[in-house]
Amino acid sequence: MKTQSYYLDHPNTLRNHLAKSYQIEPPEADSAKSTPPLISPKGQLFAEHENLFTFDGECFRETLPKPAPFVLFGVQSCDLTAIHYQDQFFANDPYYQARRQQALLIGIDCLSPCQQGFCPSVDAGPGVKNETADMILHQLSATSWLLLVCNKKGLNALEGLLLNPANESEFTDRDNRIASCVEQFNDDSYLQQGITAINQNQVPEELWQQLGIQCLSCSGCTNLCPTCSCYGTWERQDSNGDIRRQRFWDSCLYESFQREASQHNPTEEAGERVKRFWTHKFGDNFAQEFGRYGCVGCGRCEQTCPGVVGVHSVMKRIASDAKLDT
Amino acid sequence: MQNSILNNQAFYNLTPIAIELVDFINDGEDARHFRFRLPSPQSIDKPEPGQFFMLSVPGAGEAPFTFTVTPNDQGVFRALVRKMGEVTTALFQCQPGDILGIRGPFGKGWPVNALANKKILMVAGGCGLAPLAGLIDQLITSHHHKHLALVYGARNRALQMLNPERLRWQQELSLFDVLEDTGSTQASTEENHILEGTPLDAMDSVLRTLDWTPDTLLLCGPEVMMSAAAKNFIQRGLSAQAIWLSIERRMHCAVGLCGHCYLSEHHLAHHYVCKDGPTYRWDHLQPPEKN
Repeated sequence: MKTQSYYLDHPNTLRNHLAKSYQIEPPEADSAKSTPPLISPKGQLFAEHENLFTFDGECFRETLPKPAPFVLFGVQSCDLTAIHYQDQFFANDPYYQARRQQALLIGIDCLSPCQQGFCPSVDAGPGVKNETADMILHQLSATSWLLLVCNKKGLNALEGLLLNPANESEFTDRDNRIASCVEQFNDDSYLQQGITAINQNQVPEELWQQLGIQCLSCSGCTNLCPTCSCYGTWERQDSNGDIRRQRFWDSCLYESFQREASQHNPTEEAGERVKRFWTHKFGDNFAQEFGRYGCVGCGRCEQTCPGVVGVHSVMKRIASDAKLDT
Repeated sequence: MQNSILNNQAFYNLTPIAIELVDFINDGEDARHFRFRLPSPQSIDKPEPGQFFMLSVPGAGEAPFTFTVTPNDQGVFRALVRKMGEVTTALFQCQPGDILGIRGPFGKGWPVNALANKKILMVAGGCGLAPLAGLIDQLITSHHHKHLALVYGARNRALQMLNPERLRWQQELSLFDVLEDTGSTQASTEENHILEGTPLDAMDSVLRTLDWTPDTLLLCGPEVMMSAAAKNFIQRGLSAQAIWLSIERRMHCAVGLCGHCYLSEHHLAHHYVCKDGPTYRWDHLQPPEKN
């Protein structure tokens, strides 16, 4: 479908229209902001805790979520890119897909860089890509917005809302505004150097060990990372005696993540776990499998890390310590 | 593994099928050889030797185990389990008739087709004998494999497993039991054909005894043992492509989602043992040559 575009006085006009048929997330109005929230919408699709099945003593019964149709409203390009990535990773996961198929994604273009973000360097923004959203909001002025409709799903959701079609020229103007936003990002050439060093396996093991010492295994980064998807499972007993298995967000940076019942632990050293985490985010092997790097440049790991081993800190140190092949 | 609720797409099944614990025999210290029964032999796909399944013990959780005997026409299969963590401790409290759960089979098994007419030496340590058991039975019963030897290492006699099977296999293959602690006099050790030390300590003696030279090595046991054995045989002139091993990892999903069973080797960091393994060829685990 060719992208259609309309003028909109305010995102709330769209929000109020969609609220007739959908639950809106986040529920607060005026959530259409050009800065990603600290907590990404990851949990709306890959729940932080969820039931997998119940066991009544005889039978195991799958417990798929049955959410009502909902809208993720005003999602920035980094988080939409992450959802697009997760859509592939969880393509055959029935729990994720049960939620995903009920979700309508309304993106919002960022027109100024956020503090820790580097989305242009990892091809994840600041403009929303059509294939990652159903509709895109783009601010023109205090009282005027552009609404791009990316697909049939978006168009159907718009039914009943009368909007004026936008001029063709708005597309070019949008591209220009996004391009000028890209120019305002800080120089982050250390990122590219870090990525090269990781893929050439040129990061000294001592550096991984130092970074491992700084990692407090707090799981702040893995919880906030919009593409982190590791999970653990446990079982709970209901008051009627039924057993429920749940899965919950886990973190590959925990010491016990790979520890086996025998106490054998293939990644006992924190440095090895830190190395694998960053390889997962920037490894070419993963990029080949998913069409892009696992990092979408939101910078939340830097924002939250108490040990100063978020993405900027790590990549700067790698870039300065690595012995790069030239 | 179909789930029809969403669009007919093939979804991963994270919900087990109910199975019955038929019975068990004690087989080595803290180890039991269990029999389980599926609702029907068709309840799961036919497993290949070396593939594994996820066993659910309701209330305790789920963990990966190998089939020592794959399901027969009554849907009965066997698995050897050592009491080690929460799931296995709970399993050891179960009684015949109890309902448990299974998902699988998962992973890549031993390269059965590539083994035809090969001169195979298997080196197993401790519980590592279990993933080889189904393969051994297949090779000796249906393939009447001629050149087959097994070196089985254990810490002591009490920790040796699959005792009835090893007794049976003695007639069909060259079997070498190796114990770190033989706990007996030299005379009785010799009488029972037990070698002392680790499988690698015993290897010169094993190879002298065999009247053929192995051209294929299958390994299963602690990673340190497998790695030492592989390197040892490469020094002896065996090709890295002729060495296969089965790797153990913690797993919570077995379908490549939960992330727990990754390999930390840099060039394989995107591998999950549940999908890409557990069977690996030695050369695939080595870092790629630099150009």
